Amino acid sequence: MIQVQDLKIHYGDFVAVDNLSFSVKPGSVFGLIGPNGAGKTTTIKAIATLIEPTYGEIMLGETSVLHQPEQARRMLGYMPDFPPVYDDLRVEEFCDLFAHAYGQSVAERKEKVEKALAQTELTTKRRELCKSLSRGMKQRALLAKTLVHDPSVMLLDEPGANLDPKARIDMRKLLRKLADQGKTILVSSHVLTELQDLCDEIGIMRDGKMVVSGSIEEITQRKKSSRKLEIELLEESHQFTEFVEQWPTLSELKKTHDTKAQFEISHSGGREEIPGILSQMIEHGLKVTSFTTRKSKVEDLFLEIESGSSEFDQN
Amino acid sequence: MNPLILKGIRENLRPKHLIAAGLFSLIVCSTVYLTSYLEGSEGKYSKDPQTKEWVKGESSPVNGARNAFTFILALQGFYLMFLGTGRVASITAEERESGLLDYQRMTPMNPLSKIIGYIFGIPAREYYMFLFTLPFLGHAILVGKLPWGNIIQLYSVFFCSVILYHLTAHAVGLVVPKPRAASWVSRIVVLGLYVVLPGLGQAGISFLSFLTILPTYFGKILPIIREEGYQKRGHFDYEARIADFWKDVPFFDFAISPTTFTFLMQGLLILILLITGYRKWRNQALPALSKSSALFIYSIFQFLLLGCLWTFFDKGEASGLIGQELSANEFSGKEEKILGLILVIGIFFSLSFLFILCLINICCPDRHLYLKGIQRIAKFNLARIPRIADESSGLGLMLILTAITLFTYSVLIKLALHSDAWVLNSSFLSLCLIPAGTLLLAVIYLQASREIWFNLGFWGFVGLLWITPLLASLVLGVGWGEENVGLILKLLAINPLSIIPMHWMYEHAEIVKLPQEIAQNINSAIQFGLLIAGIFAILLQSRLYFIRKK
Repeated sequence: MIQVQDLKIHYGDFVAVDNLSFSVKPGSVFGLIGPNGAGKTTTIKAIATLIEPTYGEIMLGETSVLHQPEQARRMLGYMPDFPPVYDDLRVEEFCDLFAHAYGQSVAERKEKVEKALAQTELTTKRRELCKSLSRGMKQRALLAKTLVHDPSVMLLDEPGANLDPKARIDMRKLLRKLADQGKTILVSSHVLTELQDLCDEIGIMRDGKMVVSGSIEEITQRKKSSRKLEIELLEESHQFTEFVEQWPTLSELKKTHDTKAQFEISHSGGREEIPGILSQMIEHGLKVTSFTTRKSKVEDLFLEIESGSSEFDQN
Repeated sequence: MNPLILKGIRENLRPKHLIAAGLFSLIVCSTVYLTSYLEGSEGKYSKDPQTKEWVKGESSPVNGARNAFTFILALQGFYLMFLGTGRVASITAEERESGLLDYQRMTPMNPLSKIIGYIFGIPAREYYMFLFTLPFLGHAILVGKLPWGNIIQLYSVFFCSVILYHLTAHAVGLVVPKPRAASWVSRIVVLGLYVVLPGLGQAGISFLSFLTILPTYFGKILPIIREEGYQKRGHFDYEARIADFWKDVPFFDFAISPTTFTFLMQGLLILILLITGYRKWRNQALPALSKSSALFIYSIFQFLLLGCLWTFFDKGEASGLIGQELSANEFSGKEEKILGLILVIGIFFSLSFLFILCLINICCPDRHLYLKGIQRIAKFNLARIPRIADESSGLGLMLILTAITLFTYSVLIKLALHSDAWVLNSSFLSLCLIPAGTLLLAVIYLQASREIWFNLGFWGFVGLLWITPLLASLVLGVGWGEENVGLILKLLAINPLSIIPMHWMYEHAEIVKLPQEIAQNINSAIQFGLLIAGIFAILLQSRLYFIRKK
């Protein structure tokens, strides 16, 4: 549904987005992750027709965003990362304004506004002025406004940024529901765990480039050191450091607790090798009190990418 | 109804606003009206020539109503032109800053509908306050026996001006980032339209005076008010002169009614602002004007300049109060005539230069936009960027604008050379060559500097090159004027705007009785100015060429 090809966006001499390509399947949720300044918001704004790219192509199905922006806008719903609303309008008037601007008749508007308010659980707040809403409620009002013209593609920049934990869960459920109804959703967020549960696919950006993209499973498998070993010893020992250095598939030893001898190690070998590692540690006289394995989470990948230490193969 | 107008009504006219704004307007309006009405209708004291005693004259409701009319008009102007303009600018800028404008940009509404929605929706409260002035206005018209035809003309121009100012404010709001700054910039623009440009209009370039309601007021209302009230009350003569001046506008060999001319002028500006607004609504990144619309607008501007200056160069007659003073028939000597001519030519070139400078800033692509063009032609397999595209170099357009300016100038010079009103002792060629060279070189280096640097660099360069030498020459002139005449003139000549009047002075050195030494200094200053402009033109164009090649 969304196809971004060789996208380049320059601000003067600064390259905000550099040769970015990715695609989002219809009815799926795609998460864009990246540190501040990675180019996520710029990318979303370019898809939303708000920034003209220096180069590249953005397609929404068969519609070119660059060459047919008017048609593209009818398909798009955009929610920015902070919730500006018309303070002196009531919530229902705010939604009605956009339904009206999208050319809906009075009867249609009434029905669509009603539905959008119900979807975002704002029905009881419909008569309140937008300025009296909390930030979270404003975010919901904004989502209601985004839904009011029934867009097939939704672009949500940090949608959970201002929400309390319950509202975030509700938002996640709602987005999932919308995707299940066939809407294509592109969402950016710093709350990585949220994206992990919500998204069908993710793309991690750094310095305007897509470092890796695909389903979370694919990405974690693609990473060479995708497994972590969490080990706790009875006491710290220099033998442990030597052991890790000598074992060829172990790397990146990190102490994870200030007072206890708890460590985290990256393991790039096969699963069958793990019992051997534990038994060798015991044979070397290391007093292991805890030994667990876990797969890398998106958060680990993100932190590695942010620090520039990841080893993804881009294929 | 336009959704944005409906939004404006909903936001600004809730019951509490209706009561507060209505009461405010009613109180202010009734105070202003009653005060001015009573003051105007009261009989005036005059000394009886026979008894030598002060006698109070008869009271006149007609005079009172006519006196109050002007005050009500001023109050209406304050609501819509001052308060309304500020509000349109600040709200537009606020919405742009907060991102609300982006929501609107994404809706499929036509950009023109969006502009209309903003300029009529945002000042909804001011229009509501305006409504409260209407009963008083009606009373003033009926009791004051003001002719409806003139009133309709005045209010047509009034609303045309309001739309023009609100459109200007909207455009300012789309460009100036801070809401408070946008509000004040737009108000200053309105004041400028009322004070600065009419000032230039009085110097003979009459079309600059027709951006306000003043010409129609002075031409169509003031004479009527004077008939009954002012004449009887013995007001001063200058009002009669003002009323006479605004009766007709000389344009080529025709005389046009001030209302028609105001509509033409305001219509042109509204067209420019609509083009800008349309482009900005379509895409914020687009330059305010396309190359073709810039060419069209500049051609009209030059046509208006030519039309307004025609009679001055042809017959030595100028419109405007200062213009009348300057015109050839008012002068007794050749020297004064030439000085008047040089002043008007200086104003002509200054206006043309400043207009071209603005268009260079708008229509010449910066490096980012040019790069976008280069990448696009690679994508579409084109041999070069289309000349008319926003991304293409602005040199071609700027050379055409220069040619249009020189054409207008040459027509004016031809008129002056063939006119009996002026005594010029130079040939057509000698009067044209230096101005042509100056304009050409300046435009070439300005275009290159705009395309090399971004906004700050460009305006910094222009400021340093054009303003600093002027300031330095001012200091030198005050402190060590006599011994540094040559240096001062050279510093002045760095600014191309100074070269042309200098050249005219040099060409007519005998008539203006310029000492030989000063004339020589002026000549070498002109050569120096042209040399500097030439060096900048070559250096900057070469740099631009190498940057692009790279």
